[in-house]
Amino acid sequence: MAGVSRRRFLIGAGLGSLALASSPLLAGKMATPGDAPQLRPIPSTGEPLPAIGMGTWITFNVGSDQRLIEQRTRVLETFLELGGAVIDCSPMYGSSADVVGAALETLDAHDRVFAASKIWTGDGSKTREQAASSAGRWGIPRFDLLQVHNLLSWQDHLATLKDMKARGEVRYLGITTSHGRRHDELARVIETEDLDFVQLTYNVLDREADKRLLPLAQERGVAVIVNRPFQGGSLFRRFQTEPLPGWAAEAGIGTWAAFFLKFIISHPAVTCAIPATTRIEHMRENMGAMYGPLPDAGQRRRMAEYVRQL
Amino acid sequence: MSGASWLSYSLQDFVMFGPEVLLRLFIRINEAVWPWQSLWLVAGLLLPWLGCKVAEWPRRLAMALAGLAWIGCGYLFMVRYYGPVNTPATWFGWAFVIEGLLLLMLRGRALPIPLGLPLAVAGWLVILVLPWLAVLQSGDVRALALFGMAPGVTVAATVLLFARQPLLLRWFLLLVPLAWSLFSALTYWSLGTYWLLGFPLATLFLLVVALRVSPSPVQSRGLQSVRPDPERRLP
Repeated sequence: MAGVSRRRFLIGAGLGSLALASSPLLAGKMATPGDAPQLRPIPSTGEPLPAIGMGTWITFNVGSDQRLIEQRTRVLETFLELGGAVIDCSPMYGSSADVVGAALETLDAHDRVFAASKIWTGDGSKTREQAASSAGRWGIPRFDLLQVHNLLSWQDHLATLKDMKARGEVRYLGITTSHGRRHDELARVIETEDLDFVQLTYNVLDREADKRLLPLAQERGVAVIVNRPFQGGSLFRRFQTEPLPGWAAEAGIGTWAAFFLKFIISHPAVTCAIPATTRIEHMRENMGAMYGPLPDAGQRRRMAEYVRQL
Repeated sequence: MSGASWLSYSLQDFVMFGPEVLLRLFIRINEAVWPWQSLWLVAGLLLPWLGCKVAEWPRRLAMALAGLAWIGCGYLFMVRYYGPVNTPATWFGWAFVIEGLLLLMLRGRALPIPLGLPLAVAGWLVILVLPWLAVLQSGDVRALALFGMAPGVTVAATVLLFARQPLLLRWFLLLVPLAWSLFSALTYWSLGTYWLLGFPLATLFLLVVALRVSPSPVQSRGLQSVRPDPERRLP
């Protein structure tokens, strides 16, 4: 586990230095000098994770296009510079794993990330094979987190992931869903299985997880990764021409990206949100949400009410 | 997965890449083959002219050129460039290669009926005008979608030849073009690259026109036909 320890040290050291260095990087955002990044402990171990991660769905699937691979490398570089660590991918996302691997290689950053991928195959006997294939594409010896993608053959995969975790082949295991699908089944899995992580869709408009899944995860001590924080970009298309509420600044919110992300990471059950982007300036905005104050429960209610009225 | 769960998916959920990646494919293919795409442009312009000829050998050559275009486009554009970001494109790419090999094999056996001037003009318009749809969509002249390299133009130009084939062979050859047209239309729609919808729409339009103006084999006197249609035999 020497590699793992080194990675944890590097992530921690990077985050510590960011508390001093972040303000120039976040120019124009609501962060102030000395702001520390928002960290959340993984309930099963207490290991801290930055509250904003990076998704790769669509955005990193650029094939062998060297120009776009280089551009995505700069996006990933910005993410790491601003204190990000959690990168989430899946074999389902085309060439995304290869592009993440190429970017990490260019940046020599394999030890600076919390590597999360998924198992996405209907063949319950292929868990290890797919994990090894994905790790090879990333250029890492093992993943920090492996998740059963969209509950596909989850019983078989979860059994193998538990064995892999016991053998030190992966540090954490979890299960995912998206778009609000199969929440009842996901709740049953959280109730009955020993999970480290669960990944689900939650944003200022899609708040079904508020009712049962988030309280349940909190009660069971399961970390929560939130996907589709911008509803696949549709939140921007719908609201970005509208003004932010006058009281947004009180909650440390200066952009719509911060509005959407701070709403999510201020939920006490949420460990990390994983927005995806192809643009450096958007990455800066996303990471800006990890600094400065967060809305309290009352402000979160006002945020949900504000977008409902727009 | 339950039926209700499937209904919760939208078209966008199945497209795993962005419009930028798609439009860059046209640029990258042009950069990769530069300056040899000029040969494909010449071949594309020759295709309708050869297809018009009454003599057999030019129409054999037209079929061979069409076959090579399908193979080149299928392997290079679809399998090598498009496939890594869109798995079904790989499957279509190999289908294009098989279609091209079939055309090469058929070139001496099933000659198309001559196109006629109106269809030849339509063919030239396809070769010269359709490539600009990708330029309009991307705003980059390097994205010209040329015959023999880009699937939309290749398919649209060659369905004219397919439509002039005997009935069974015609519809057999049209399976891949029609499936590709549907697939690409859904992809372009979900990506919001609406100019590119011109490729499948042009393909369907040209196919309908070519079928409407297609004479029966016996009306083309002196031309070889694989299987004359007895119901259309002149008294």
